[in-house]
Amino acid sequence: MEQDLLDWEMRSFVYARIVERGLPPLAEQAADEFGIETGEARAAYERLHERHALFLDPQTREVRMAFPFSAIPTQFRVRANDRWYWANCAWDMLGVPAALHSDAEIHAEYAGDGSPVHMSVENGQLRGDDGVVHFPLPLRHWYDDLVFT
Amino acid sequence: MLFRSEEAVDAWCEAQNRPRGKTLTLQKTWELSEAWYGNRLSPDYRGRTAEEIREVFDDVGLRDEYWHP
Repeated sequence: MEQDLLDWEMRSFVYARIVERGLPPLAEQAADEFGIETGEARAAYERLHERHALFLDPQTREVRMAFPFSAIPTQFRVRANDRWYWANCAWDMLGVPAALHSDAEIHAEYAGDGSPVHMSVENGQLRGDDGVVHFPLPLRHWYDDLVFT
Repeated sequence: MLFRSEEAVDAWCEAQNRPRGKTLTLQKTWELSEAWYGNRLSPDYRGRTAEEIREVFDDVGLRDEYWHP
């Protein structure tokens, strides 16, 4: 398969697996899916990371973020289509129902005091607790420190 | 990060010695999310150019340089 096509099909597979199971596939599992060597799947992950299509864990080089989804537990949990998802941040907790085009229940915490926040998306309308989302860096610097952003 | 209020953002940034950026209301963030993530699961999604990114923010009324790529 041509490399660019493989990369984008790999990306689609990662997202499909997250939607279906809540977590992205390990590189080894992606390799099995495509009938390729694990090293080839890792290389595709790295290229998608370079293109900002996925974000890999700095240590394991497995998928940590497939925006808006997180592969690791966060304080932003979203229930949609009878499944729980983790979102990367306050923006992404709303990004999950936006990406899924679904209703959702959102459980989060206010930064600072850690008190719980509950919201829902119903028929495209956001309801529930109020608040503001802080974007500490200008958009042009978002990829300088993605975890902080 | 999600805060209860603008004042809570100020207090947190000061306590943590972090830069104070800009905030969006949850409703505006939802509006932005729909524009930004609405096509993310499409098999045809190939990312966005800087111009396309700017269009998304412009379309939801975020035209300040802070939101420019």
